[in-house]
Amino acid sequence: MITFENVSKVYDGGVVGLQNVSMHIGKGEFAFLVGPSGSGKSTLIRLILKELEPTDGRILVAGRNLNTLRRSKIPLLRRNIGCVFQDFKLLPDKTVFENVAYALEVVGEPRRSIRRKVPEILNLVGLGDKMNSLPSEISGGEQQRVSVARAFVNHPPLLLADEPTGNIDPDTSVGIMQLLLRINRTGTTILCATHDREMVDRMRKRVLALDSGRLVRDERRGVYDSEV
Amino acid sequence: MRFNFFLSEALSSLRRNWVMTVAAVLTVFISMAILGLVLVIDRNLNQGATSLKNRVMIEVFLKDSATPEQVAALKSRIESMPEVKGAPTYVSKDEALAEFKQRLGANAASILQNLSTNPLPASFRIYVKNPNEVDRVAARFFNDPIVDNTPGTHDGVRYAQQTVRRMLGTIDLVEKGMWVATIIFSAAAILLISTTVRLSIFARRREIEIMRLVGATNWFIRWPFVVEGFITGLTGSIVAAVGVFVVNWTVYNWIHNSSVNFLGIKVYPVWIQSGQWPLGLLPTLALLGAVLGALGSLVAMRRYLRA
Repeated sequence: MITFENVSKVYDGGVVGLQNVSMHIGKGEFAFLVGPSGSGKSTLIRLILKELEPTDGRILVAGRNLNTLRRSKIPLLRRNIGCVFQDFKLLPDKTVFENVAYALEVVGEPRRSIRRKVPEILNLVGLGDKMNSLPSEISGGEQQRVSVARAFVNHPPLLLADEPTGNIDPDTSVGIMQLLLRINRTGTTILCATHDREMVDRMRKRVLALDSGRLVRDERRGVYDSEV
Repeated sequence: MRFNFFLSEALSSLRRNWVMTVAAVLTVFISMAILGLVLVIDRNLNQGATSLKNRVMIEVFLKDSATPEQVAALKSRIESMPEVKGAPTYVSKDEALAEFKQRLGANAASILQNLSTNPLPASFRIYVKNPNEVDRVAARFFNDPIVDNTPGTHDGVRYAQQTVRRMLGTIDLVEKGMWVATIIFSAAAILLISTTVRLSIFARRREIEIMRLVGATNWFIRWPFVVEGFITGLTGSIVAAVGVFVVNWTVYNWIHNSSVNFLGIKVYPVWIQSGQWPLGLLPTLALLGAVLGALGSLVAMRRYLRA
């Protein structure tokens, strides 16, 4: 699903984002991306979305070579990648329903199927009764669930989560993680960058650890800190 | 393709950001109203200048002793002059008298009854193509043997020498001034509108970023903004066009009802028949505003849509 071959990213001004990272995440996997702030987690995620171009190396995502992907095809790539962010990135002027519906409008989904799918997914994340609220009217945990619903409503093969529990309390975080786990069971590949030590240790999933832009650890059923 | 979606997106965003909407509409209104007024004034002055220029006439009075052959020869000489516009009008002695009677009105009969002969001379009325050439053309008749000059003067040839010269100078200056004003105010209108649009898009750059993240194509993101800019521009400029129309109409009425004189000529024919041109101006301004709004949105969005 995701393949990095000797990928480096150096920002204008010389700051190193990633150094010679090679890894492969297979279809249907659930992987955590851990590491201190500035270790390159966000850089890696943004490279997958082709928000950034690598300075060096090759990136394949969902069968596409990002190095040669034409700029005009980027929207098509992103429709295959659901995204959940630490700051939720909901459209503040749209209701919960409209926020989720937007991801479907974008791909030209007919109105009737939008009206069927959006309540379906909102019920799944437990927000069936908040469909007409604005993001500012609901809690952080609820906003993050809207964001997860939006990321998954298209049933994309890949879901990226950048610190999805960074802004919400531990109890609510568990709910979000369970949601991601459920999505993973439907066959969706999940890559989740996080600081949440407890969560990573409990779930015992694959762990990729970054430090200063280098991939320093890749364990099958790993924990947040190295066990050695 | 999904025009309904784009339209409803644009309308709801106009409603939700109504403060910005009002600011943008006002900006368009003010800049288009100023530009519209400049254009109307320019148009009126042009019309006035043209109508004044067309009045520049040379009258050549002929001696009663001139034979029909001499008159015909002079006529063909005039017609062969390249500066002269159209054929000269020949006014015979009888026609001159009839005109005089008409001008005197009711009193004419009693005054003219006592005349045994017609004292009015026949004349040619000549219009020149370019008022700047009026002196040159007039001078050709100063020494013509059949022109009715008092010996030593040129009073057989009459035209508004000083007036023409002063008028031409003024018109030229005014026309240049209006060109400069039109350019300045067009530029100001474009800058004002684009600044406002840029501000309103800057305020929503996060929204654009999110749209891109969920995989919206650039045109999918652009259309609602373009429609929004179009509606804003259209609204502002329609109000402006109506305003300009009303102002023009008021001024026209005011001048029409007063007896303002300008260089001895009534001014009111200078102002176009109530609103004739402003009616054409209305759609022009409205379309211009709408296009500016839409284009402004497109240009302002460019930096947020780079991959």
